[in-house]
Amino acid sequence: MKKFHILGVLVIGVAIGVILVSLKNTSTYADFNEAMQSPDKEFHVVGKLDKLASQIYEPKVNPDQFLFSMIDNKGVIKHVVLHKSKPQDFEKSEQIVLIGKMKGDDFHANDILMKCPSKYSDGKPQIN
Amino acid sequence: MNTIDYVGERLWIGHIGNGFVVLSFVSALLACILFYISAKNKNHLNFARLAFNLHSISVLGIAGTLFFMLFNHFFEYQYVWQHSNTDMDMKFILSCFWEGQEGSFLLWTFWNVVLGLILKKQLKDGLWEIPVMTIFALVQVFLASMLLGIYLFDFKIGSNPFLLLRQHAEFSNLPFIQNANYLAKLNGRGLNPLLMNYWMTIHPPTLFLGFASTLIPFSFSIAALWNKQYTKWQVVALPWTYFGILILGVGVLMGGAWAYEALSFGGFWAWDPVENSSLVPWLVLVAAGHTMIINKNKGGSLFTTHFLAIGSFLLVLYSTFLTRSGVLGNASVHAFTDLGMTGQLVIYVLAFVLITVALLINNKLFKITYLILSFLILAFGIIFGYKKVLLMFWILSSVIITAAAYYLYFPKEKEEEELFSREFWMFLGALILILSSLIITYFTSLPVINKLFNTDYAPPKVPVYNIWMVPFSIITMLLIACAQFLKYKKTNPKQFIKRISYSFLVSVIFGLACAIPLYFMSNFSTASNSDKWNLISYASLFIASLFAVLANADYWLIMLKGKVLKSGAAIAHIGFALILLGALISTSKKIVLSKNTAQRKVSGLGADFDDKKSILLTQGDTLPMGPYLVTYTGKKREGINVYFNVNYLKVNKNGKPEFDFTLVPHVQDNPRMGKAPEPATKHYLNRDIYTHVTYADLNVDTITTNKNVFATAKNYIGHIGDTIYSSNAIIIIDSLKTNINKSEYEKNDSLLEVTAVLRCINISSKVFYAYPKFIIQNNVVIPKEAIVDQLGLKLVFWKINPDEGTIEITMSEKLSNNKDFIVMEAYVFPFINILWLGCLIMSVGIIISIIERIRVIKLQAIKA
Repeated sequence: MKKFHILGVLVIGVAIGVILVSLKNTSTYADFNEAMQSPDKEFHVVGKLDKLASQIYEPKVNPDQFLFSMIDNKGVIKHVVLHKSKPQDFEKSEQIVLIGKMKGDDFHANDILMKCPSKYSDGKPQIN
Repeated sequence: MNTIDYVGERLWIGHIGNGFVVLSFVSALLACILFYISAKNKNHLNFARLAFNLHSISVLGIAGTLFFMLFNHFFEYQYVWQHSNTDMDMKFILSCFWEGQEGSFLLWTFWNVVLGLILKKQLKDGLWEIPVMTIFALVQVFLASMLLGIYLFDFKIGSNPFLLLRQHAEFSNLPFIQNANYLAKLNGRGLNPLLMNYWMTIHPPTLFLGFASTLIPFSFSIAALWNKQYTKWQVVALPWTYFGILILGVGVLMGGAWAYEALSFGGFWAWDPVENSSLVPWLVLVAAGHTMIINKNKGGSLFTTHFLAIGSFLLVLYSTFLTRSGVLGNASVHAFTDLGMTGQLVIYVLAFVLITVALLINNKLFKITYLILSFLILAFGIIFGYKKVLLMFWILSSVIITAAAYYLYFPKEKEEEELFSREFWMFLGALILILSSLIITYFTSLPVINKLFNTDYAPPKVPVYNIWMVPFSIITMLLIACAQFLKYKKTNPKQFIKRISYSFLVSVIFGLACAIPLYFMSNFSTASNSDKWNLISYASLFIASLFAVLANADYWLIMLKGKVLKSGAAIAHIGFALILLGALISTSKKIVLSKNTAQRKVSGLGADFDDKKSILLTQGDTLPMGPYLVTYTGKKREGINVYFNVNYLKVNKNGKPEFDFTLVPHVQDNPRMGKAPEPATKHYLNRDIYTHVTYADLNVDTITTNKNVFATAKNYIGHIGDTIYSSNAIIIIDSLKTNINKSEYEKNDSLLEVTAVLRCINISSKVFYAYPKFIIQNNVVIPKEAIVDQLGLKLVFWKINPDEGTIEITMSEKLSNNKDFIVMEAYVFPFINILWLGCLIMSVGIIISIIERIRVIKLQAIKA
């Protein structure tokens, strides 16, 4: 039985090790100011589309680049360079999560998650 | 308010449905209590069975009633209204049934009843009937309560599928309620169009049958703890555990196939929390299945088996909590919406942990202390708050008590395990599976951890999972390859090494021959350190899984002489190794075909920021893409889907392009979820070509306008040297020329003529010049436009802002310039068919094992 016990302890040890190692590298939710402070680290920044700023998507120039501005939850506005094609329904999004890092004054995102209006909004019982 | 007499509502069916709901709950409770007391007094056993039958009938009754309502469009009921409508194809009626939470709980309950009835018959009058059925009925009490939809003080218990639409909290103040005849004009909201496919018909029932089947090893294990019969249940439970491994495994892989075929994840596995939370119970169940064999053949690893058999079911409950409570929030694309049952789900998970830990404690005083303490903690939490701290305290103390109970009360083995024995290596395999499950669960649970500890960790991305899981897969593959060649108890190491070395050498030689060109030839020396590590681990996994396939094939053909009945394990392991091999090759060697030719490259941001993965296809133009030439020929709309026709051509021997095939990816203009792209894939035996449209205009223009007309002009303000983008060219403001100098103009203000020199560069770098003129005569501005015919552009220079040093130019383009275009991604998944072949082989292997295990049970019954 002793071997089993050693293995059991080993498993717990490895699991804790993985958790500790990964905690250092796990991206965290942050705002633009935090992202500015550590420009090489990847963050998830939650915010809203700045509807007043212009959006540039010129697929003829580069289909994998889309420029817009986002207001984070603290109200800070930053230019965003999304390294992907412009998401469909982008204008409709209620909330945006950007995954990426700050470079200079711009936030460079490699992925974007959007929350569109809730499932119920279009579907209220209606009669006419 | 209450006096409105609504016309045409069929309230009777709701009463029937609710009758069944209440009956199913009460009869499950009754069955549980009766089975429990039958353990002491057998007189109640027949009543207990009757109560369980009654419960089964009422569950069927609920399902039948709901189905009847869906089939006949009784939209006065919220569930029917929300999940179906009259325009819908009737073949999706089953999908409507389990689209919502209530329906999927009902599906789960239904499968539990089916399995319970079979088990009740199988175990009748045996040692296990009473304890196993007690646990079964107890679980059914909890599940049946999920459909109750009643409020106990402020606490909502369950969500009822027979709720009237006008009684639903979200709709109760809408105008339609004032209309007595609302029903005549009401249509349902309908099934989400994204779910209108055959996957939605087959995936949920398979997955839920898989979930339901984890209840069987759980019930046996709990029953064994209760009876203190730790060793006798494995023989009976083993075929059921294999059944669970089969169905849950197929269910999970089906989810992957669905994602690959019909969703635009860009692969078959995205490590999404919803996928993970069904994968983890499967991994644990697989581990349980293996340690159960150790129990049976050797008598060891008993505690581990109980831990795993119970764990698998608890993880199903936990996964239910994760995916249905809304706790995942942003972390998952396809979690259910929150129905306000978070508290209930948490309590259920914790209740089963409590029962398990309490049964492990084989000391009355200790047990009662633990139970009382737990209830005190719960009461304290409800009254005074501090719920998080108390929850963590309770979980920690439960873990410690479990460990203590193991050391104090659990039967342990006396002899030391041999290093070269099958059971030891199988046990190692089980440990690796546990470790993988722990890590995946931890990553998946980060949103829960955030809630508990007020941290803000984001869900990890796919590469994070891969980095950790690849090494574990390598070890698992090595164990799978070796374990069968080891005998139980003791094996001669020399013989073992000699026997295994054949397939080992073959796989190393063949594996290296494949892995070196695959992973090391092209880009190894230039790769970064982390990429090098990845490439080495991919190559190792390649060789290890090849080893697993060959060793098991060797074992089956040589050691078992190709006998089918005994070969279940070998075949299932070949299948599993092929699944990993296929996943490895198709993912690690995935090729991006749709590389765009944009010159800009963002340096210093890392490999994640690849902005060369999409291609722009303009209608009618032919572009090279990988080995193909592709042409986007047009789009058409059918219902809510817009189909994009893309032709693939290949250059033939004579150097001329030749039509190869057409792919039609489409975008669903989903009224409920927005635009959802669905991929199109060309399948070959050795590779798949996978495409999806990421950006496109979904308006299908039917009006034929004169294409030579200029569209509305846009104004641009710029300095000299600035750039204007048209749809087909880059326009640079080169310089400005005037006919007179400034002093002359001030003297004689009769005529000023400023010419803008605009350099227009089209896509093929051809340069055209345009000279629009800004003329002021007698203080009147008369701009003179310039037209570039070749580019279909009209440019007007109409304003100078001397203070800012800028000029203003308007540009308009001919309508014919705006050709339709799509932005598309295209990938090659090489050898993905190995993965699907592996699924098939693994299923066959498990089925053979089930048949063999049932045969063994029958043989034993005859002998006894």
